[in-house]
Amino acid sequence: MDESLMVLTRLLMGLGHLALFLVAAPLLQGFIKTSKAFWQMRQGPSILQPYRDLRKLLNKEELISEHASWMFLLTPRIALVSTLMAALVIPNAWGWAPLSGWGDLFLFGASLGLVRLFSTLSGLEGASTFGGMGSSRELFVGLLTEPALLLGLIVLAFITGTTSLQGMTSGLVTISPIFIPRLLVLIALVMVSIAEMGRIPVDNPDTHLELTMIHEGMLLEYSGTSLALLSFAEQVKQLLLLCLLAQIVWPSGLISASDGLLGLLWALGFAGVKVAVLGFFFATVESFFVKRRLFLLPNYLATSTAAAILALVSLWFIRGQI
Amino acid sequence: MFSKGSRSIRQLLMSLSIGLAVVGLILGTVLTFLGGEWHKTGLHFFTEAGAGISLTWKLDGLTAFFLCILLLGQSFSSLYALGYLQEYEEKKKPLRSFYVSWFLFLGSMFGVLLADDGFTFLLTWEMMSLFSFFLVLYEHEDLQNRKAAYIYLIMTHVGTVFLTAAVLYLYAMSGSFAFEVWAKAAPTLTIIQLNLLFIAFFIGLGTKAGFVPFHIWLPYAHSAAPSPVSSLMSGVMVKVALYLFIRLVWLTLGPGPVWWGWLFLAIGALSALIGILYASVQSDIKKLLAFSTIENVGILGMALGSAFLARSWHNAWAMDLALLAFFWHTLQHMLFKSMLFMGAGNIIQATHTRNLERLGGLLKRMPKTGLGALIGIIGITALPQLGGFWGELLLFQSLWVNTSQLLNGWSKVVLPLFIGLLALVGGLSIATFVKWFGISFLGQARSLVAEKAKEAHPVQVITPLIMSGLAVLSVLWPAGTLALINLPLLVMRDGETLGIGSVIGKPIHMTSVYLMIFSLLLLTVVILSKRKARRVTPTWNCGSPLTPSMQYSATGLTKPIRILFAKVLGSHRQVDRNFEGTPYSLHSLNYEGEIKAVFEDIFYRPLIRGLLWVATQIRKLQEGNIHLYLGYLLITMIVVLILAR
Repeated sequence: MDESLMVLTRLLMGLGHLALFLVAAPLLQGFIKTSKAFWQMRQGPSILQPYRDLRKLLNKEELISEHASWMFLLTPRIALVSTLMAALVIPNAWGWAPLSGWGDLFLFGASLGLVRLFSTLSGLEGASTFGGMGSSRELFVGLLTEPALLLGLIVLAFITGTTSLQGMTSGLVTISPIFIPRLLVLIALVMVSIAEMGRIPVDNPDTHLELTMIHEGMLLEYSGTSLALLSFAEQVKQLLLLCLLAQIVWPSGLISASDGLLGLLWALGFAGVKVAVLGFFFATVESFFVKRRLFLLPNYLATSTAAAILALVSLWFIRGQI
Repeated sequence: MFSKGSRSIRQLLMSLSIGLAVVGLILGTVLTFLGGEWHKTGLHFFTEAGAGISLTWKLDGLTAFFLCILLLGQSFSSLYALGYLQEYEEKKKPLRSFYVSWFLFLGSMFGVLLADDGFTFLLTWEMMSLFSFFLVLYEHEDLQNRKAAYIYLIMTHVGTVFLTAAVLYLYAMSGSFAFEVWAKAAPTLTIIQLNLLFIAFFIGLGTKAGFVPFHIWLPYAHSAAPSPVSSLMSGVMVKVALYLFIRLVWLTLGPGPVWWGWLFLAIGALSALIGILYASVQSDIKKLLAFSTIENVGILGMALGSAFLARSWHNAWAMDLALLAFFWHTLQHMLFKSMLFMGAGNIIQATHTRNLERLGGLLKRMPKTGLGALIGIIGITALPQLGGFWGELLLFQSLWVNTSQLLNGWSKVVLPLFIGLLALVGGLSIATFVKWFGISFLGQARSLVAEKAKEAHPVQVITPLIMSGLAVLSVLWPAGTLALINLPLLVMRDGETLGIGSVIGKPIHMTSVYLMIFSLLLLTVVILSKRKARRVTPTWNCGSPLTPSMQYSATGLTKPIRILFAKVLGSHRQVDRNFEGTPYSLHSLNYEGEIKAVFEDIFYRPLIRGLLWVATQIRKLQEGNIHLYLGYLLITMIVVLILAR
């Protein structure tokens, strides 16, 4: 009886975890848009606009290319669900992740891999040039981001002695915030996150110009519900990355019900502030830099990989192990 | 159309092949459940071969695992061949040589797996090479296939030379061919002798497994063979070579120095990277798969390397993880690669082309083949819904544990780099298989043959789907897969060992949890997002009509990769523009792109040049002058007399 109650609690907590990400994702998107408007000195849309956009798209008629197959409609669903699967290993405001165990940091990247597989395949569905262009570029950027992301996380795993994201973020509490390897990893992960989120200088999320678009190119044939699901998945992914970064910069450790309702609410508020600060940071970066050419990206992501490797070397050096 | 006789022969023989495999699987299961000590100590048999020679065989846990892989491969490939061979009958191509080679090839693989002494091993190994050579040569009308078979024959014999040398040396050292005697004699050998033996085995077996730089035959041979044979060669035969690494190096030559592990790790990483890079720029659907086999063999090599390192560092946990990764990936790769070769076979029979640039839009015309192929690519690109990922997870973790438990040294920096490299390989494999599937199955047909494609014979469609079912089952019921993997681990781990369950704990059981949560969430989202308002429209193309040639081509899709890795791939292109005197209007344009096989250039050409040079020098002995030959005879006689004095 006790055991089934435990399972039920965990299940509910897991669902709550996902629901929190789902609810907060468009809000973050709205906040970043507002921040960008701030730097561009204009009156941006309301912070709630992404919710309205999603509702509008969900109720619209959907147009499907005559060349597309059944995969075309499956992709948006898979994209959202896979992103949610990735969310299951990301520690939330209370430092808790539903699927935690060793090795779950590998699960994060791999779950996003399925999104990449299906969205790039669907870019080829419409039989147009733009879709293929988007797919080709997305595959290229994807293969460059993967080593940097994994190496960065691996170094954190060495710092904290565990390969579980939940364990890592709670282990970081005791590590000094200016510990050199940790700072280097942060540089690597921030650079990778920009690429993963499809933001300047890697991709421009606001453009629909064929020469520059990567992510939007693949979505060009989508409309209505499917487009809503795809944008929603992208927003959730953005929130996941910022959440992870926030937990690495200012880890709050594992907070349980024993801290009382006030403690829980305080943690949630603190997490919100952390993510918002990071969101503002990325909006600032996006406002002050320009998009780079596709073939300059290897240099950009190699810098990120190099930072991760440097972090690794410096970690063993500081610990006197080489 | 075709005679009834040949049809019933095909059905009879292939059913026999399936039946034998199924009987073997059932017997194996019964034997495993009966238990006993045979997993560890082995069941011994022998065959009198006359002339005082007896061939000895042994069945232990390690062999049992690979026999299971072979039996699965045999049953599915035979089932597939049942449909596939029909085309040859329609073309009135005699199948007798195919059947004979097919059964003898399978039989010799059983022989290699069961062999318990050096002589039996070499005998069956040669048979395996020979009959797979005949199968590669089956479509000998095509010059390309003859060339492929020729390269295969040469390379496999180069490998055998090294193996024979190693076997004879061990015989000279221990006075016996039996593996057990060798294992006892190995500790008495000096480190130089051990290293030389290891190198000989590494080259000999690595050639068959397809390690870079001995891989050059593999893309030709695996793509030239008929598809059921390709699926057997890629799915099973390369694993047989890896099995021998365990049998002859891990179990016989003993733990060995640390650099053996590093060599496996480095060559494995090189094979993985080179394999997938070349795969990503191929436009031939079967060659691409063959290059991807090199990649996966590389990953398996890395797992072995990690296991060897952990063994020399006495790190039991990392060793168990690496070995689990090895066996898990062996099983999964067999399933997925065979499925993909079957998908490729269906495409080839439907369109009679292997060129991706002429395919397109096949998912609508061959939906079931497409479904099987889609499941195959999800598995082979190591995504967590299917088994491909979980093997890599174990490998990642094993490298991580190996690193973090080392006390000090530069190894702590080098080992994690392999994790980064494996991540790069993962990204490249997604690009490769998006190209393979996306260009052939999605979009518009790029040629008339693709437009007129028809779904293949039902058997050819069902086989990959059954294999997908098995792949899903292996993930949903990880305990079953682990029980199978436990068999070889019992043989390979020595001393006190924990059960696998306690070694890996929760994560591997997450395979089923992950898949179930994923399916439930997907079902929920699909149901919730159901809307009726849908309209089919033409693709938006800036107002101009859309033609198939406007789609991205296979070459174009991975062009960024080709540009980034131009140095490694040796890619180069030549564009000739003909303006016919006018500065503005282009009359004709000639584009040539080429991917060079860099390894053939930097590794094999100097080798061949060297060999030819030596041959020329030796030829100087033959002047054609009878006095000189008499002189040789005289010198030989004097030398012999002095020596035999």
